[in-house]
Amino acid sequence: MSAPVLEVEDLRVRLRTPRGTAHVVNGLDYTVGPGETVAVVGESGSGKSVSVLALMGLLPSGSATVTGRALLQGEDLLAMSPDRLRRVRGPGMGMVFQDPMTSLNPVLTVGRQLVEGIRAHQRVSKQAARARAVELLAEVGLPDPARAVDRYPHELSGGMRQRVMIAIALSNSPALLVADEATTALDVTVQAQIIDLVERLQSEHGTGVIWITHDLGVVAGIADRVLVMYGGRCVEDGTVDDVLDRPRHPYTRGLLGALPDLAEPLADGSRRDLATIPGVPPPPTDLPPGCVFWPRCPVRGDARCETEQPPLTVVGSGSAALPHRAATWCGEDSR
Amino acid sequence: MTDDVLLSARGLEVHFPIRSGGVFRRSSGAVRAVDGVDLDIRRGETLGLVGESGCGKSTLGNALLRLVEPTGGTVTFDGIDVTALGRRELRELRRRAGMVFQDPFASLDPRRTVAQTVSEPLEVHGLHGDRRERAARVSELLELVGLDPAVADRYPHEFSGGQRQRVGIARALAGEPDFLVCDEAIASLDVSVQAQVLNLLRRLQRRLGLTLLFISHDLSAVRHVADRIAVMYLGRVVEIGPAAAVGGDPQMPYTQALLSAVPVPHPELERSRKRTVLRGDVPSPAAVPTGCRFRTRCPSAFEPCPDVDPALQPVGQVDGHLAACHLHGVVGTPVAREDDAPEGPTPADAARAPRRAGRAH
Ligand SMILES: Nc1ncnc2c1ncn2[C@@H]1O[C@H](COP(=O)(O)OP(=O)(O)OP(=O)(O)O)[C@@H](O)[C@H]1O
Ligand SMILES: Nc1ncnc2c1ncn2[C@@H]1O[C@H](COP(=O)(O)OP(=O)(O)OP(=O)(O)O)[C@@H](O)[C@H]1O
Ligand SMILES: [Mg+2]
Ligand SMILES: [Mg+2]
Repeated sequence: MSAPVLEVEDLRVRLRTPRGTAHVVNGLDYTVGPGETVAVVGESGSGKSVSVLALMGLLPSGSATVTGRALLQGEDLLAMSPDRLRRVRGPGMGMVFQDPMTSLNPVLTVGRQLVEGIRAHQRVSKQAARARAVELLAEVGLPDPARAVDRYPHELSGGMRQRVMIAIALSNSPALLVADEATTALDVTVQAQIIDLVERLQSEHGTGVIWITHDLGVVAGIADRVLVMYGGRCVEDGTVDDVLDRPRHPYTRGLLGALPDLAEPLADGSRRDLATIPGVPPPPTDLPPGCVFWPRCPVRGDARCETEQPPLTVVGSGSAALPHRAATWCGEDSR
Repeated sequence: MTDDVLLSARGLEVHFPIRSGGVFRRSSGAVRAVDGVDLDIRRGETLGLVGESGCGKSTLGNALLRLVEPTGGTVTFDGIDVTALGRRELRELRRRAGMVFQDPFASLDPRRTVAQTVSEPLEVHGLHGDRRERAARVSELLELVGLDPAVADRYPHEFSGGQRQRVGIARALAGEPDFLVCDEAIASLDVSVQAQVLNLLRRLQRRLGLTLLFISHDLSAVRHVADRIAVMYLGRVVEIGPAAAVGGDPQMPYTQALLSAVPVPHPELERSRKRTVLRGDVPSPAAVPTGCRFRTRCPSAFEPCPDVDPALQPVGQVDGHLAACHLHGVVGTPVAREDDAPEGPTPADAARAPRRAGRAH
């Protein structure tokens, strides 16, 4: 296998808040190979967005402390000067943010924003950059792209803004693409088109992709590997088949159980409540000493659950190169 | 109109003028975001509104509450003509009819704490007069949406995406509205929280008789909450009916395609699944095709489709199931032949044009 695009080692993020220190990301280890897609899933508030913002150097420097290593093509992002980081964004890594409206500039047309992004990293004329902008908007499925370049963000629908963000992130054919809930506002047809586009980028440029989503259907279709986060930790990871078909962590099992099933017949009016995981996740300022999931866990199959933090260990069958790991004290048969 | 209808729209239109470039900023044509919608929402029901990105769902939701001004048609809420309301009456309407916005980041004021945000409707409408009462109500609302009441003194930037979305829901529920538009209210929530919020909405509905318009591109989520589903395409409602009928026995090729494309969370199934992928892109709402607006992408389009604008007609096995599709009989308004405008390239042509992805220049 060729050298990974991204290697993350023991990534930790603490945020200072008026209520004390929030331990938002607590030791993440993963790699993204060329052309590979790693899906990150997990409870709302589990640290998915913060963990990738940390890689990009986009957390408020006053209140955030980031430690660990994050090697992008061998170079540590966490040790880079702000200037170097600015140059690496674009061709090095493209990011689609979870909040398209606040990350697009409201006073510039989408064309201006695309052209500026392209010209910051590529030596091309304004006209060529504009032509490329139109082409990119067509590729992300915006109707009437030649007109769309001249529109302002507020004139676009939610899903159109998301596609503009995607076009910006792809405009410099990055080595690493981070997509944070990039297709949540998109219907399945457009979503399929975006996924095709990203896959093409992956095969042509070997782009590695981190895809954060809560949509397990999307995960099933695109991911090579899946990383499940809870309370700022990775509680389970492995190939997409291992994690979705043979989940081992009680949280992952709960998450899969909470899916509304499209095939389920609807009785007239008499719908049962959807399965949920009762309770709320622990606040990052006050994490439990044992397993992070313990306070909500329906299994609690071991005396150590409450007091001792379970390490991420190999479970089940996975290969040495693609291990299936889970951080739980609960064994195979404790369902 | 029967009196179990809470809200109804007739011929509702929202057209946005297109600015042309240059100093004069002449308007040239219009984006027909909502283009002749007839819709009845019944008291106590949940109506799901689905359709592709850009088809006009948010604009329709906004127009029903007059958060954008309709350019044509009428909206009646509980017998009141919403389109004729003055400022004062509009404020009363806003208490009775709330909105959960699509973009939780842009819709929360970054300088206000969660408590201030959630209690804003209480203050504006003079509900729960004293401070202690309001604080108690805020705690109750936060708990209702699955947030720890201790977060009340935090600011939006300290929240994750899903947490902000729930703050928006708590705010919308604060004034105890009769009618709520939820615009992609669960889009960025993980499945277990999604289920929590869906269950919550359903409970509130039983308890308070809340009427919901639930906007989503996610048909599977909608099938779980909605009593009826309306499918929108390019500014029009093209199919509507009981959720089980529209979701289980769709009669319009567009709805059928939407359903077949929903991904499933099983890796093997998902990789091998057969999808009806629609040809071409959504036409621009500034250049709506003549006749049936779906015909440029429809796998079953035939002769009458470009010439007759289809009207909603009864279809399928169930009462109240309507679709605008000539496959069920050619019903509708013939397209005027004389002002036949040139159609321009169809989106299918655009899709066939060569594309070069991700090429560095
Ligand atoms: N600037 C901040 N100050 C304090 N706490 C913060 C800040 N940003 C995020 N947090 C907290 O960090 C935790 C992780 O947030 P993050 O946005 O990474 O969650 P997420 O996994 O992306 O969730 P979602 O799926 O809802 O987007 C949350 O509990 C959040 O409240
Ligand atoms: N203020 C505006 N000015 C001009 N055009 C607008 C404006 N608001 C919306 N539009 C256009 O109206 C159309 C419908 O937009 P709308 O936001 O209603 O779509 P939507 O169905 O909610 O899509 P999504 O699922 O992506 O949120 C789009 O073509 C959009 O570009
Ligand atoms: Mg997030
Ligand atoms: Mg919308």
